[in-house]
Amino acid sequence: MVREVCSDVLLGLAVAIVLGASFGVLLMRDAYQKLHFVTPAALVAPVLVALAVLVQMGLQENTGETCLALFFMAIAGPYLSHATMRAIRVREKGDWRPGAGRRAAASGAAPASGAAPASGAAPASGAGAAPAPGEGRER
Amino acid sequence: MVFGFTAAAIAMLACTIPAGIVIARGDLGSAVVGYEFITSVMVMVLALLAQAFQRPSLFELPVLLAILMFGGGLVFVRAMERWL
Repeated sequence: MVREVCSDVLLGLAVAIVLGASFGVLLMRDAYQKLHFVTPAALVAPVLVALAVLVQMGLQENTGETCLALFFMAIAGPYLSHATMRAIRVREKGDWRPGAGRRAAASGAAPASGAAPASGAAPASGAGAAPAPGEGRER
Repeated sequence: MVFGFTAAAIAMLACTIPAGIVIARGDLGSAVVGYEFITSVMVMVLALLAQAFQRPSLFELPVLLAILMFGGGLVFVRAMERWL
C-alpha cells in the first residue's frame, strides 16, 4: 500500500513536470526559449519515473532497464540541446560564434585579401544577411 | 495492470499535444525542439506502459528509443543546420 502511494506520488510529480514543460514549449517565444523546457521533460521526469518503478518493483530487471534508458537520456540530452541551439544560431547568423555576423559583414563590405566573400553582393545586415545554410562558415 | 502507471502514460501522451501544435505551426527550429520534447516523453511513456502491463520484455523499447533519440536528433539537427 505504501509502495503504491509513493509510486503514485512520484508519477504525479513526473506528469506535472511534463505538463508544465509542454506548455513552456508551446508558449515561449522562440526556439532558444522553448529549448529550455525540454530539459525538465528529458531529465527530471525520467528520474521520477525510474524512482517510481524502483519503488514499485524493487531492484529487478525492469528497474535496471529503466535506469539504463534514463542513463542514455541523461547522456544525450545536453549534447542534443547544445547541437540544436548551435544549428539554430547557424541558420540565423551564418556562424555560431559571437560576432561572426559582424566579421562577415565587414569582410563583405571591403574584402581585404582580394578574395570574394561567400555571400557575394548580398546585403550585409537585416533578415536577408544570413548566408544560405552550408555556405560561408568555418568549422 | 497497474492503474497509476497507465494513467501516467495516458497523461504524458496528452502532454505531447502542445508540442505537436508547435511542430505543426512553428518555424523549423521550434519544430525540432518540439520533436525532441516528444521523443523524450515517448521514452517515458514506453517505460510506463511496460510497467503498467507487467511485460518485462517491453522494457527494451524505451532503452532502444533513448539510444535512437540521440542519433536521430543529431541527424535532424545537422540536416537543419546544413541543408534545410
